[in-house]
Amino acid sequence: MNTLTIAWIGLPFFVGFSIYLIPKLDKYLAIFGAIASAAYAFQLFAMPSAVTLELLDNFSVTLLVDRLSGYFILTNALVTAAVIIYCWPTDKTAFFYAQILMVHGSLNAAFASTDFISLYVGLEVSGIAAFLLIAYARTDRSIWVALRYLFISNTAMLFYLVGAVLVYKASNSFSFAGLGAAPPEAIALIFMGLLVKGGVFVSGLWLPLTHSESETPVSALLSGIVVKAGVYPLVRCALMVEEVAPIVQIFGVGAAFMGVFYGIFEKDTKRMLAFSTVSQLGWILVAPEVGGFYALAHGLVKSALFLIAGSLPSRDFKELQQKQINTTLWIALVVASLSISGFPFLVGFGAKMLTLKNLTPAYAIAMNVAAVGTAILFAKFIFLPRGGQTAAKPGFWPAVLLLLGGLIAANAFDVQAYTLENMLKAIAIIGVGWLAYFLIFQRTAIKLPRMLEQFDHLVGFMSLISLLLFWIALPK
Amino acid sequence: MLEALVLATVFCGFFGIIFKKNLIMKIVCMDVMSTGVIAYYVVVASRSGWLTPIISKGKNVAYADPVPQAVILTAIVIGFSIQALMLVSVMKLARDNPTLESNEIEMNNTP
Repeated sequence: MNTLTIAWIGLPFFVGFSIYLIPKLDKYLAIFGAIASAAYAFQLFAMPSAVTLELLDNFSVTLLVDRLSGYFILTNALVTAAVIIYCWPTDKTAFFYAQILMVHGSLNAAFASTDFISLYVGLEVSGIAAFLLIAYARTDRSIWVALRYLFISNTAMLFYLVGAVLVYKASNSFSFAGLGAAPPEAIALIFMGLLVKGGVFVSGLWLPLTHSESETPVSALLSGIVVKAGVYPLVRCALMVEEVAPIVQIFGVGAAFMGVFYGIFEKDTKRMLAFSTVSQLGWILVAPEVGGFYALAHGLVKSALFLIAGSLPSRDFKELQQKQINTTLWIALVVASLSISGFPFLVGFGAKMLTLKNLTPAYAIAMNVAAVGTAILFAKFIFLPRGGQTAAKPGFWPAVLLLLGGLIAANAFDVQAYTLENMLKAIAIIGVGWLAYFLIFQRTAIKLPRMLEQFDHLVGFMSLISLLLFWIALPK
Repeated sequence: MLEALVLATVFCGFFGIIFKKNLIMKIVCMDVMSTGVIAYYVVVASRSGWLTPIISKGKNVAYADPVPQAVILTAIVIGFSIQALMLVSVMKLARDNPTLESNEIEMNNTP
């Protein structure tokens, strides 16, 4: 298994660079890379215990793969495969597919590493490859959005590096486990870097513009999996070092509420989906023990939703309410929206119930309210008029069917959730959400200011968030 | 003392990113910041000694810790490639926004 793990980490990079040598085979090689990762993830689920690798003594690279990373790796494989299938009939160049595999490979590496430096390399490489994907259109706007993304993530990662060396100073090792002995400023700097990279809470305000202004397949990839690379290490740290778990949970609740609050007042489909990502990332963080399963549920549904939103006739909710959308497209949209709202028989239900079960009562109440908020958000999609005739793009249906099939098949991971009580609770949450939508939010026309999304404010907020983290981490 | 100077460099870079208007200056400031971070790794490495960590026949000397130095080498390479990418995209942006004022570019390119 050890050799297999190392081969699996190297494979996407190897295949990715091979694409440059044999550009004719680009799509086939890319999909091969994704399938190999999926096979590896299933191998992980079959393993009885975790695989730990320590390369070169305790100084450097430590890897750990278990069920938690298995969920993230499987999400990565499925989302990448769906995006490649979606792009199959288009005339994207070999460069595009090679970059998709680079993102895929660096995320795999990030999901396997348990030391701060391997993680840093994984995150930075994924950032560079994501930059190239966002800027693929080569328009001024895409270049600016990509530049802004790279700038913010790199600045955050510089703070992260300072935090990493403080951990090394305290424990002579870069391993995540050293965080327990580290001073509060180390925790503040490292977590700030990861929160920005993962797009959590206020640090995640860069995310709506980046995810909504990218091309459809790129937004699906970014929202489905790239942000999870910042979230996974937070979850892993919370599991390995007990002291930091409360910090991660508080930010999870904050993110869940902030995303829902901004999303409710949003008039643009893709921006609304991006804000919903912010809120769903909070759900992953709030219960670290079961975060992996939630990440799988969210990754599948969010990339499906972004692909569907790319096929809608307009991006504006107001215009969409006047137009009729294709009925089959509407059914796909409803299935995905129901899953993310937590409707039974779709994986979102199992994930929500499992998360709620693992919370203390105070957090559980808060998260139930956030779940109602999610139901309100997606009522906007469900109650759109149907009956139109616009046909979808050729690669659209195979990709979306793969993701929606995953939504149903992934129920197998958690069959215990299907009790009568849980189902009634889920339906009640959705019912309350829809009622609130009809009574209040359908008619509101409040426009929230976007000032905080300006570049300078995003950078400035980094210092505020690290101060906040420092004060939270200080008393421990 | 050295540590304080290094951290001052990091903060100079950081505030430069916020307060400089020109996009090129922002990128240079980010480079200043990353120089500070690199220097901090070197300072941490020299806690145990100054000498190059090479095994030789000589006496047991106080040598510098090689791990942070090796680690920061990776970060230097990554930082350099990111810098290159950013400058290329600034060149592209400069065609339509010759003044390169970041708030102007932001206003033109935000929906």
